[in-house]
Amino acid sequence: MATCSATSVNFGASLKPCFNNNRTDGTSALNMVRVVWTKNVYPSLRTSRFNVCCAAKPETVQKVCEIVKKQLALSDETELTPESKFAALGADSLDTVEIVMGLEEEFDISVEEESSQNITTVQEAADLIEKLVQKKEG
Amino acid sequence: MLLLLLRHRLNFMMNIRCFQRSFSAASLAPLQLPSPMETHLWYILPNEVKNASLLNQYLEILSPCEKENVFRMRGDQLQRRALLARALVRTTIARYQTNSQVEPRSLKFKKNIYGKPEVEWQDVDGSHLPPLHFNISHTSSIIACGVTVNSAIGIDVEEKQRKLKNNILAFARRYFSPYEVGLLTAISDPEFQRQEFIKLWTLKEAYVKALGRGFSAAPFKTFTIRFRTATQGHLSERRDSKAFDVVVDSFDDPKNLTSNWQFALLELAGSHYAAICIEGDRTTEGNGTRPMKLTVRRTIPFVEDECVSGTDAVVAIVGLT
Repeated sequence: MATCSATSVNFGASLKPCFNNNRTDGTSALNMVRVVWTKNVYPSLRTSRFNVCCAAKPETVQKVCEIVKKQLALSDETELTPESKFAALGADSLDTVEIVMGLEEEFDISVEEESSQNITTVQEAADLIEKLVQKKEG
Repeated sequence: MLLLLLRHRLNFMMNIRCFQRSFSAASLAPLQLPSPMETHLWYILPNEVKNASLLNQYLEILSPCEKENVFRMRGDQLQRRALLARALVRTTIARYQTNSQVEPRSLKFKKNIYGKPEVEWQDVDGSHLPPLHFNISHTSSIIACGVTVNSAIGIDVEEKQRKLKNNILAFARRYFSPYEVGLLTAISDPEFQRQEFIKLWTLKEAYVKALGRGFSAAPFKTFTIRFRTATQGHLSERRDSKAFDVVVDSFDDPKNLTSNWQFALLELAGSHYAAICIEGDRTTEGNGTRPMKLTVRRTIPFVEDECVSGTDAVVAIVGLT
């Protein structure tokens, strides 16, 4: 537990914002996230999440960040990362439900209420979106 | 860094009598337990609590895990809110242990399978410990904790002025039951509709929190909150609150004794709607239509209590005397 806390603090401090428009080297911000993770974190309990952490497209992650920022009235300068927890940003249950509704409209998907407990971070939201979008198109 | 490392022993006394304040030795004054079917509601106004050494005192009674959670919050305001919430729960519950002095920091908590926090009672000397139940809710400007004996409890508070980012009816159609959508659709004034929406939301949240299941395990579409009166009506403060009674109909589980859930809705501290849901006593006759017996206190842990029942800080809307 203490380790999780320490790494999440370091994690936040060393990451660039969710989606960096100024990158010229062709790599996405999300790949950079992955590199930092493998260096600084010893295996977390949620290794399955690590495996899918790059499944969601950067555009999806960015869209989630935009919707979250809008719902929680965060400034554009607020740094959001894939691991950003909605609750840590001040979201209450009504905010979370509004975020989910915003994501449903944006991506034309339907999120069952049972799944909403699994949407606690930007990454989790993006992963679920991708899963539902693929299911729809599949 | 939110808190100074200053260790300063403050000499304050908890005041348990209404409308009086006095100061003496620094321990938490004990509280009398709520009687069965009685609810105690405590709240802190975070804007009143900024003293660094007091906040430090609160930090000292948290568990290591709780402290980490506090510091994970982004920014001073959110950290202070998280800190006050845990301090309110620990100090309040500790004060109800009338048999022996319980240290707030020694309380242990666990979560049920849906994630609802509960006290993990440690029956150290075999004495019978009171089956206290609690539930908290907070906004940016209030932190509330409801306490009962023998009844499951859920509470929710929302700022009266809260505005949805989404369209209210679209939101209701997506998440609420058809009956509730109809109720909201029938309201033509947008501001009034918004207020009724917030009240309905708090009642629904209080119910799923009392159930111990939360929004995910008790989707809002699977039950209806309605107001039982002679005439169908809205939740107007101008009506006699005794004329209303809130009941819940559950679709998924019709055998569930939904008449065993008792609700109250009130305006709190002039700025919030607060909904409380408690499990009724199944051994009594009747179906929970008696008004809820509620005592409301504003508090600053280690500093003061003020009983605010019967003042402007508590305005009954439904379900209270």
